[in-house]
Amino acid sequence: MRIRHDSLDRHWGRSQDPREGERSRLEPGDAAPSSLRTILRGREAGVHRGPHASRLQRRRRAAGRSRGPGADANSGRTLTHSRRRIALLSLAVLVAVALSVSFGASGLGPGDLLRALSGDGDPAARAILLKLRLPRAALAALIGGALGLSGCTFQALLRNPLAEPYVLGISGGAAVGAVAVMVTGLGVRLPWTLPLGAFLGALAAMMLVLEIARRASPGGMDTRVLILAGVIAGAFFNAVILLLLSIADVESFRSAIFWMMGNLSGADWGSNGLLALLLVPASLVLLSLSRAFNLLSRGEEVAHYLGASVQRVKLTAYLAASLMVAAAVAAGGVIGFVGLIVPHAVRLAWGNDHRLLLPASFLAGTAFLLLADTAARIVVAPAELPTGVVTAVVGVPCFVVLLMRGGRR
Amino acid sequence: MRGGGGTPDDWRPVLRGRGLTFTHPRAEEPAVREVSLSVAPGRLLAVAGPNGAGKSTLLRLLSGGIAPEAGEVRLDERLLGDLTDRERARALAVVPQSESSPFPVTVREMVGMGRYAHLGPWEPVGSRDRAVVDRALERCAVTPFADRQLGELSGGERQRARIARALAQEAPVLLLDEPTAGLDLRYRMELFHLLRELRADGLAVLVVTHDLNLAARFADRLLLLDRGRTQARGTPTDVLSRETLEAVYEWPLRLVPHPGPGSDTGAPQTIPLRRDDP
Repeated sequence: MRIRHDSLDRHWGRSQDPREGERSRLEPGDAAPSSLRTILRGREAGVHRGPHASRLQRRRRAAGRSRGPGADANSGRTLTHSRRRIALLSLAVLVAVALSVSFGASGLGPGDLLRALSGDGDPAARAILLKLRLPRAALAALIGGALGLSGCTFQALLRNPLAEPYVLGISGGAAVGAVAVMVTGLGVRLPWTLPLGAFLGALAAMMLVLEIARRASPGGMDTRVLILAGVIAGAFFNAVILLLLSIADVESFRSAIFWMMGNLSGADWGSNGLLALLLVPASLVLLSLSRAFNLLSRGEEVAHYLGASVQRVKLTAYLAASLMVAAAVAAGGVIGFVGLIVPHAVRLAWGNDHRLLLPASFLAGTAFLLLADTAARIVVAPAELPTGVVTAVVGVPCFVVLLMRGGRR
Repeated sequence: MRGGGGTPDDWRPVLRGRGLTFTHPRAEEPAVREVSLSVAPGRLLAVAGPNGAGKSTLLRLLSGGIAPEAGEVRLDERLLGDLTDRERARALAVVPQSESSPFPVTVREMVGMGRYAHLGPWEPVGSRDRAVVDRALERCAVTPFADRQLGELSGGERQRARIARALAQEAPVLLLDEPTAGLDLRYRMELFHLLRELRADGLAVLVVTHDLNLAARFADRLLLLDRGRTQARGTPTDVLSRETLEAVYEWPLRLVPHPGPGSDTGAPQTIPLRRDDP
């Protein structure tokens, strides 16, 4: 393993989030002047000076004697905090599901739907609920969770708040696969080839990016090389997509553009089930690595010293997260910003412990995409906006507000 | 710090490096050549030498960060490379020179990371883990800052927090890479006092340092590296001679005994001269 100074990471971090960038520059060995820190924090936080040696020892002894339940209670409180926050997010997901199924082009309201559920309602309303709205809500939930969790994973893995499936070229590869299927006309005759093409494209992009990064950084995967490989692969995929579109007929051109903007209208229970079959194990793998992610975000060398099997964790997490993205993109097209802003918002609100951050990012992504998709269906009803457009339009201002509010505590 | 179960007290491994040689990729000269050393429980070993002498490379060889070209590192009788990552982290804690993160954490969260090697992936943090973390926080006097962001602390406090994380690993061997770099006089003294106390607790401590004067006062043994080779080793009084140091640092200097008062009286203190004086 090699030590590296992640100046590129820090540079990226700064351009993304100036405040965190400042903090990261404060963290290494040298103490920043306390006045600077005070300015940064906007209060008397940084000026605290430690006690001198003799007082240090006296207090240590005193603390040793009087150490009661205080500290333990403190940790216990943190644990309850986490549970309460997960419960809060789960509630938000339920509310979002309720909202999502209550609105739609047919104009059926919550009352009609409740009657439909009880069995003696209008069969058409029942069909709309069970065959259209619920599957669509489930798809939005699955994709939102997958994007939130995988975005969070890439950020931890690459120690870069900008990391996202899109930055790494994975969704670009998926788009190439899908557009190729549409342009060749295969998608019209055999509809199931569209998600398959996207999935294969994402997998191919993932393997390509991994392989470039591995070969370009002997002796371990350098995360900066990995990002670079992802960006370059993404640019290449964009070129390929434009090439394909330039030879496409008008009809497939239209549907390709529509697909690339992200679109959940094709949801059905069968493909949802398949998606869940892939997402659940991948999510569990990622959740089992949450402690390792905490270590990795302190740097690979530190993580190694603390006992993490750095290369194995990175490879496992990268594979699992890429699979999730591939499946999500195949099912719903290109939906941007969820993987970037959801984990970021959770980090700003609740800190960077991945044991909370990973499940919270999944749930927050779920709620966010459900709401975005609901908005996509009601804003210009009876017409519909592409969901990816809504996530971008809603997501970017949210992100800016979060940044300007200054985040946690 | 120790003795709370976990590691039996009779298992007191010695970290031993024999004939260690390592060349960085694309480098012509080895960074470390045939260096041998050992760190025993209850001993404080300081490794000193000019910039580029191979101190940090040596530390990374000893901590399994890189594998030696020739020679071997053993923890007790076991080869370091044969241990799993978790086993190694339970036996050997390292405080690297510096670290940074784009994602800020609190001191308690960071010290809690020291428990990684003791916990399974789904295992919840137990009361014993919490007790170990609390003890580590107290030992390093960072309990008052436990719930603050690491970035809000001063350099000395942050360094103590990182040592607390290493202590939370409950490893009997502790390696530190230039822990006093960038710290003021008081924090440097506090830090070496802390290392001395940890040594008294029975830890085997190895510290890479540029501070010959503090090494002379606090270390049991001193290893002087120059261009990857061992120039001198032994007690600080044996190693620190004018001839050796002038040759290693290529600078005129004098050694004076510490004037006292206190237990350091007589320890050799290095005073570099001005080059243009006779």
